[in-house]
Amino acid sequence: MSFAELAAQLNAGTILPEGIVIVTLLAVLVVDLIVGRTSSRVTPYIAIAGLLSAIVALYYQWDNTNTVSFLGGFNSDALSVVFRGIIALSCAVTILMSIRYIEQSGTSLAEFIGIMISATLGGMFLSGANELVMIFVSLETLSISSYLMTGYMKRDPRSNEAALKYLLIGASSSAIFLYGLSLLYGLSGGETELSAIATAMANASTDLSFGLVIALVFAIAGIAFKISAVPFHQWTPDVYEGSPTPVVAFLSVGSKAAGFALAIRLMVTAFPLITEQWHFVFTALAVLSMVLGNVVALTQTSMKRLLAYSSIAQAGFVMIGLITGTEAGYSSMVFYLLVYLFMNLGGFACVILFSLRTGTDQISEYSGLYQKDPLLTLVLSICLLSLGGIPPLAGFFGKIYLFWAAWKSGAYGLVLLGLVTSVVSIYYYIRVVRMMVVKEPQEMSESVKNYPEIRWNLPGMRPLQVTLVLSLIVTSVAGILSNPLFTLANSSVTRTTMLQGAPVVSTQTPAISHQPSTVNIQVGG
Amino acid sequence: MLSSLIWVPFLGAAIVGFLPNLSANRARLLALSIASGVIVWTLFLLTQFNISNAGFQFSEFIPWIDTLGLNYSLGVDGLSVPLLALNSLLTWIVIYSTSEQITRPRLYYSLILLVSAGIAGAFLSQNLMLFVLFYELELIPLYLLIAIWGGTQKRGYAAMKFLIYTAVSGILILAAFLGVTWLGNAPNFDYNPLVTQGLSLNTQLILLTMLLVGFGIKIPLVPLHTWLPDAYVEASPPIAILLGGVLAKLGTYGLVRFGLGMFPEAWVTVAPGLAIIGAFSAAYGALSAIAQKDIKRMVAYSSIGHMGYILLAAAAATPLSLLGAVLQMFSHGLILAILFHLVGIVETKVGTRDLDVLNGLLSPQRGLPFTTGLLVLGGMASAGIPGLVGFIAEFLVLQGSFSAFPIPTLVCVLCSGLTAVYFVILLNRTCFGKLDNTTAYYPKVQWVERTPALVLAALIFFLGLQPTWLVRLSETTTTAMGATITTTSNVQVAAKN
Repeated sequence: MSFAELAAQLNAGTILPEGIVIVTLLAVLVVDLIVGRTSSRVTPYIAIAGLLSAIVALYYQWDNTNTVSFLGGFNSDALSVVFRGIIALSCAVTILMSIRYIEQSGTSLAEFIGIMISATLGGMFLSGANELVMIFVSLETLSISSYLMTGYMKRDPRSNEAALKYLLIGASSSAIFLYGLSLLYGLSGGETELSAIATAMANASTDLSFGLVIALVFAIAGIAFKISAVPFHQWTPDVYEGSPTPVVAFLSVGSKAAGFALAIRLMVTAFPLITEQWHFVFTALAVLSMVLGNVVALTQTSMKRLLAYSSIAQAGFVMIGLITGTEAGYSSMVFYLLVYLFMNLGGFACVILFSLRTGTDQISEYSGLYQKDPLLTLVLSICLLSLGGIPPLAGFFGKIYLFWAAWKSGAYGLVLLGLVTSVVSIYYYIRVVRMMVVKEPQEMSESVKNYPEIRWNLPGMRPLQVTLVLSLIVTSVAGILSNPLFTLANSSVTRTTMLQGAPVVSTQTPAISHQPSTVNIQVGG
Repeated sequence: MLSSLIWVPFLGAAIVGFLPNLSANRARLLALSIASGVIVWTLFLLTQFNISNAGFQFSEFIPWIDTLGLNYSLGVDGLSVPLLALNSLLTWIVIYSTSEQITRPRLYYSLILLVSAGIAGAFLSQNLMLFVLFYELELIPLYLLIAIWGGTQKRGYAAMKFLIYTAVSGILILAAFLGVTWLGNAPNFDYNPLVTQGLSLNTQLILLTMLLVGFGIKIPLVPLHTWLPDAYVEASPPIAILLGGVLAKLGTYGLVRFGLGMFPEAWVTVAPGLAIIGAFSAAYGALSAIAQKDIKRMVAYSSIGHMGYILLAAAAATPLSLLGAVLQMFSHGLILAILFHLVGIVETKVGTRDLDVLNGLLSPQRGLPFTTGLLVLGGMASAGIPGLVGFIAEFLVLQGSFSAFPIPTLVCVLCSGLTAVYFVILLNRTCFGKLDNTTAYYPKVQWVERTPALVLAALIFFLGLQPTWLVRLSETTTTAMGATITTTSNVQVAAKN
């Protein structure tokens, strides 16, 4: 093999965005080593600049038609570009809001950013990973970095407990996932590339279906852990409560988006033979997540736990798009994750700001906040109402698109359940808004009575303010002006070849979706 | 032209809410002038409205989100034009009649304008998804309006109940619209009565039932009404005007426009049941009102009763009864507004709403003679005394429905009598009798406070004596709608024979 041929097969230009992120990571660490503690003035901005230039590099990948690289190990198709963009953006926003939080805790900011960027790298590679080993390596990069971040506040027993819990559950779910992958390797006669596995399975002379189903279940156990679908969700509330809040923000958006990217790619490419089965399993997960996430959130008293259950429920909504299995379904997932990024990160930014100023995140302590901090009240209200799907905010359009896509493909039961549970969700989101807005001045909580004077000129506060304003604007306007986002989500799906070749894709005609064999109807209805 | 009815209050809400250094008085003046501007613009539209055209006028169409089939498509016809006018008028009255000492004035006026914009948008939408958007837009502002500025006792409970009921109503409507559009194979959500033509009667019935329950919560119809007494009683008087005067009309309007307009065949099938529910609502509202000891509760239950007539008229769906339905929506809006406004004055001046405590308010020296005089007028209008607008509307409803459903119509006539009964109780206990000498030192009612009631009373009188001004706006449209239903039912009868 000549060098030119090898270079063509490696096609290394496709991972330029990740390359930029790696350079950023090293730059952050080196600057920290050379400069010392004072480096925290520059390192976050280096990191953000690096991540944003990675997003710009992703923009140039968009029109790239030669997407398969590294001998089939990595695929840089439009879908992976979108997901890598979401993950990089969520990391950039998270760094913006973590500067003050980490500084105040007295730990090193550059180390934190370093771990955060490694997690981002793992997530970005996972979005395009096209081969079993690559999938596992990037998944582990993401997971191990996440354990470290979860336990970053090493003097806080809750953070330690969260890290231990996350590590034990995460490592075992990775092991289960690994069993699934090795089973796939064995069943396909030694193939590690996803499409080759599917081809080998289809051509196999003997009946592999039982082994395939076991591999499927094991793989889903790993994925459902990442997207915290019930019943693989138990870590979520505890980890969200114990971890540093910026980490939670990243886990709820970046890590979850990576999980969904993996779910789409692995399920569609490697398991086309048993589409009905994985649709069935995900339907069950979605139903459980929507019901449990929304119902249990009703009784929470801590804001971070509330958002934990809310993120379980939101994952249930997103899974509706995955189950739908049509182009509209996949693009509704992408669209929802895009708007979810801003509303969830905006919500967490407010939680961070409130706990920086008062040192607590109990919901009852938010009482009467509108008097002392109107901006925080406005942003948190808008973000929570958007999560509840109130028009004309971004979340409303996201949910409408999910339900519209699912209804089109005949999953009536899932849509109705989604609608009913979103009414339940309005109840607990509005409870927080009520605390902040409705309560009279005499009903103010202790922390709000002693609320410190608002000062934005402290180090690290400006970036937090930028996050608030950014998420406020995007959450309130992205729905009304959503045409570019819709176009982006739709074309990312239509340009992705793997979603074109899959058997259930493009069931645009009602004739197919009304077939009684469709799992959605059996379970959802 | 129509867009400004939505966007002027919407922008006004943003300005009132976010303009820095706006004093309470300025905020109020700004909100009032925006509302006045909207009224002037509505009057101008009314003069331009072509009354001989049964279709949509002043249509506007901008493609919005193609992927969802959501287009920004507006239009107005004889069914919605009186309701738009009602919305503009009552918004002004709500802002005007709000106490100047209200807490957090900027948020308050901002939310009122937001609700007004949403209501106008819902009446104007010619796209089902756009309607849902505007319909759900009201949810949070109204929740806050009840929860922050409501009565002292149970406002949080009432607001939450309202929120949950309305949210459920919203999802039912959304589900029905998704069903209509996808099962009818429509390319987008634009309002098109032909979409449902291809559906089987059973599917139509299921979708229509969803709409009936969805809008029935908002109207409210009797088994779905339990949020109403709490919300109306706990809301402050201006908000109660907004709730009962305009928002309830969103339910009846939706029922006629989408239920009857899109499912004529299924409508004919369920009409007898609807007529019975309508008559039952009327009877339930009237009888419950008789049992109340609180005047605001009484007016709230009277509202349930009056909405029953609209359902009866819509079920009959003759050209005359549909006209009656539109008139009843409009006149009920005016009458409920004047009643809630006067009850609000009585409550602030006397300090109670209890029928056992109130007495002798008609006394010329130390009572509230002018206010209670207008209260008598409002009660009479509500009870359907000729010469006032309520009579015209009820008479058209009853006359139009009698041919189709004689028994429910007779029940409604009876309820009309019961309305007179509880209003006589109310007036007797509040206006007549003697003042209690120990407690009766009431503050004077200022002219400023009377103005809204005077405006409303003048309208009630005027339209009662000269109803053609109102009738001719809607006549063409309702006749056309009634004609489609009549043909549908004739076809069904012919098919059965």
